[in-house]
Amino acid sequence: MRRVIALAKKDLRLLFRDKAGFFFTFFLPLIYCMFFGAIFAGGGDDDSTRGAIAVAVVDEDGTASSQQFTKDLSDAPELDVEVMGREEAANQVRRGERVAYIVLPNGFGARLDNPFRGGMPQMETGIDPTRQAEAGMLQGILAKYSYQSIQSMFSDREKMRKFIRESLGELQKDDAGDPVTTGALKLFLPALDMFLAAMPEDQSAFGGFGEIDIKQIDTQRAPERAGRPRSSYDVSFPQGVIWGLLGCAAGFGISFVVERTRGTLVRLRSAPISRGQIIAGKAMACFATTIVLQVVLFTVGTLAFRVRPDSYVHLALAVFCASFAFVGIMMLLSVLGKTEQAAGGIGWAVLLVMAMTGGGMIPLMFMPGWLQTISNISPVKWAILAMEGAIFRGFSLQEMMLPCGILVGVGVLCLAIGIRAFRWVQE
Amino acid sequence: MPIVSATIPPVMLHLTNLRKSFGDLVAVDDLSLEIHAGEVFGLLGPNGAGKTTTVNMIVGLLNPDAGSVSVDGGGSPADAAVRGKIGMAPQALALYDELSGEENVRFFGQLQGLSRKKLHERVRWSLDFVGLWDRRGDRAKTYSGGMKRRLNLAIAVVHDPPMLLLDEPTVGVDPQSRNAIFDNITALKDAGRTIIYTTHYMEEAERLCARVGIMDRGRLLALDTVDGLITAYGGNSVLTVERAGKEETVETDDPLAELNRLQDVGKLERFRVDRPDLERVFLNLTGRHLRD
Repeated sequence: MRRVIALAKKDLRLLFRDKAGFFFTFFLPLIYCMFFGAIFAGGGDDDSTRGAIAVAVVDEDGTASSQQFTKDLSDAPELDVEVMGREEAANQVRRGERVAYIVLPNGFGARLDNPFRGGMPQMETGIDPTRQAEAGMLQGILAKYSYQSIQSMFSDREKMRKFIRESLGELQKDDAGDPVTTGALKLFLPALDMFLAAMPEDQSAFGGFGEIDIKQIDTQRAPERAGRPRSSYDVSFPQGVIWGLLGCAAGFGISFVVERTRGTLVRLRSAPISRGQIIAGKAMACFATTIVLQVVLFTVGTLAFRVRPDSYVHLALAVFCASFAFVGIMMLLSVLGKTEQAAGGIGWAVLLVMAMTGGGMIPLMFMPGWLQTISNISPVKWAILAMEGAIFRGFSLQEMMLPCGILVGVGVLCLAIGIRAFRWVQE
Repeated sequence: MPIVSATIPPVMLHLTNLRKSFGDLVAVDDLSLEIHAGEVFGLLGPNGAGKTTTVNMIVGLLNPDAGSVSVDGGGSPADAAVRGKIGMAPQALALYDELSGEENVRFFGQLQGLSRKKLHERVRWSLDFVGLWDRRGDRAKTYSGGMKRRLNLAIAVVHDPPMLLLDEPTVGVDPQSRNAIFDNITALKDAGRTIIYTTHYMEEAERLCARVGIMDRGRLLALDTVDGLITAYGGNSVLTVERAGKEETVETDDPLAELNRLQDVGKLERFRVDRPDLERVFLNLTGRHLRD
């Protein structure tokens, strides 16, 4: 065993001495995790990461009500608001820096304060023609906050009575309106004022205009979230880990070929150790590297990117099985070419196909059905599924057995083929 | 009571009717020889003669198609313990460039089963022996070709094996390193190690080896001491004399007597005697030069 450990330590030392190899093994996968996690941020359940629509607000009215409405929009989580002049707002939308601009014209505040007299408040919007999907969302968001402003008036008794008195005063001064409507309002508004005055202090003006009373039902979080990632990092970290595993398999597989082409394998074979010990040494180094790689990446994911596995035990199982599978793949890659260039070229071609079909490049959930069917032949798919099962899919131990069992099977098969086909002497 | 000769050391390596072919190419054909303990044995032949294939069979890297290899009284190199008795310096520089000289030697020492104090002592001795102790911390990739050859030798001797296989150990090295390697081999010979030395440089075989086997196209053509080979296959010495500006060449088995005879005929201005060497032996045996 001491000799096997010496062989493994030699390979690990060589890996850490090779700066480029070390970078591609450890840092590139981490960059992958962070890069794709950041790109797809907002795709998960975490509202704080959801993207807001960037808009400009032009307050041409300048009244207290328009300023309050502007503040309401600025506080809205759905919007990323900046207040500016009309010309600058239009330019920013034209340059594609903002999705739309919203103009609150003169009279906006007056209409908002007195809906019975001037009709509903009006706004203007200038929308980037290439962002029509967001334009529809913006209409809904603006309608929501407009009605919230009116609703707040109806739910405040003193505000409501002030509004009634002002409206009656205007009706007395201005008889130009529709006589039927004006007459009705002259009867209705005083009656409403009397009604509000007679109401007890602790009741809102109208139950129906008060804020909707939404009682939150205490529900269990896990079943509601089961099968869905908390954030994009739950998806990007398993994918990044896969690239690290692919790099390890390629690196150690090619290093086996290099041992043969440069003659060190001759020297190893002439030492008093068996072929099995030589292979075990290489496999141990590859296995240790893949384990350390996965532990490092998932630790970074947990500490810095809130990747919180549902089960650390299941994740450990997934990590172990994925490492075993990729040690087998390493052994298989070492027999694919006679020279290191051939082994590298053929090996990476095989690994890229595995990654493409297995969800290493595009998440499985985004793949068309036929490709998802093909992905079953790729060990990458089962490695990702095992990791995702432990992180956010909420797999039971029984459910973990399928991907983990397939990974172990792949490892055993590839090891058997690789050991049998390995060329011990350079021809 | 059996009579034991005190002058003949025991057989360290016994090859019996070895044969190895790769497809249609017969690399080694019916090779038999015995090498005694403490002997420096040269295996001489051009590239492709079958020397490295023979070495690979001796060390267990290749299984012979026929015949057998016996090390130190009967052990087969297929047995790991038997391989531990052999130190090998392969023709291809078998080093890890990214490891230091000391790390290379230490690693192979560990594979030979050395540990702790013994390992430390042997690593130091080996690097001292080849003159690389001062450069022990430098990575092998920074070594010159000659230093790499010496490191290759240090790894072969780290476990103090009784038998060494040195496969073309001076290929591509500078004269200084070559002389250093010759000194190392002489020291190992003096320490009683058995050395099998393959080369295609006849002058190295003449300088270092007590006996030489000449191989070509997989077959052992001749096997004897250097003098014995020259006597048997080298032909006569060539005496060249110059008289009155004209050169005469005479082939003779007694150059001194021939020189006296020619001087009696007339005054000689200059003369030269070319003794037969292994190059001539090879030429006479194969019809080709060693470096063809």
